[in-house]
Amino acid sequence: MSGNGTRRALPWAVLGLAVALYAGWGAAPASALYSRYLPPSRLVLIAALLKLAYLLAGSAFAFACRDRLEAGNPARPAWLLLSQGVLSMFAGQLCLAPFQVVYGETPFPTVADIYFVLAYPFLIASFLVFLNAYREAGLPIGSLGERAGIVAGVAVVGVFVALPLLRPVAATGGTLLERILTIAYPALDLVLLLPLALLLRIALRLRGSHAGDVWALLLGGFVVLCVADIFFAYFQSLGEAHLDPFVHAAFVLAYGLIAGGAHRQLQLLKS
Amino acid sequence: MTTSEAVDVMVRAMAPYIGDTMARSATEAHCQRLGIAATMSRDQVETLLGKLGGGLNIFLGRDKAASVIAEVRAALAALEAPR
Repeated sequence: MSGNGTRRALPWAVLGLAVALYAGWGAAPASALYSRYLPPSRLVLIAALLKLAYLLAGSAFAFACRDRLEAGNPARPAWLLLSQGVLSMFAGQLCLAPFQVVYGETPFPTVADIYFVLAYPFLIASFLVFLNAYREAGLPIGSLGERAGIVAGVAVVGVFVALPLLRPVAATGGTLLERILTIAYPALDLVLLLPLALLLRIALRLRGSHAGDVWALLLGGFVVLCVADIFFAYFQSLGEAHLDPFVHAAFVLAYGLIAGGAHRQLQLLKS
Repeated sequence: MTTSEAVDVMVRAMAPYIGDTMARSATEAHCQRLGIAATMSRDQVETLLGKLGGGLNIFLGRDKAASVIAEVRAALAALEAPR
């Protein structure tokens, strides 16, 4: 592999290793690797640092994309909103990190949840602005009927999948705020999935191209983020702490893919 | 020049950036909206390139989109040259 190829592959290798590390921790926590060399406190510390690094990088890359686009470009505000959404998640993770690093635990709810929840309006607005930009540019994004059909289909499937999963979560004990937040994350994810489904349709038409790579990574990241939020709500409220490693793996993967997508777009704009 | 020849040239130049499917469907959709039939006048080519440039702009930024459109223009000129 050339020097350039190695440089490009290295971040993906690191992300793959990190995800494998946390999935391995969940699957075989008693193995020598985890009991002798990587105790839970160290793994939680590494996860916190990885999440912070990916979120900061993702926000910075998205902001740089906004900066590279000329004033008046309809995609410019979308990249800014995406950057702000990811930055809000970074702020949430930053509030959470001291607890994870010092005490090796993830308290819930905390002030971090303000920032995590705040990220959603930015992200949803970003996707809507992207969709509007594509429509204004005359790109084929489907008729109004087709788009309404996709949104309705995703909403119905989402509700049917999420309801049975979240019913036991809502029925568990805990403070009112705790229960509201536990349900709010997957509900906000469901709202996020609606514009994502429309963008996915566009991304399929972009496949095999530079822009297709960008959207495959970004959409992949946000879909994994939705899955991670559902994992988190489920495991947190049912007290399944031994499944936390899978939640870490999913969040690390989601943030890594989002940062990778924003970086790919920046490379495209710089090329 | 024939519309199908011109569309092929445009799609070939844009495909690496936005994919063959998107390049073709965007070009054909614009042709339809502009009422372009089997052959294209020079004015229609310029209008179409303007529309396609606007679409590329979103993915590539103004400068890069302009350079891709310049590539298309050069390829179309080569196509028009006496064969």
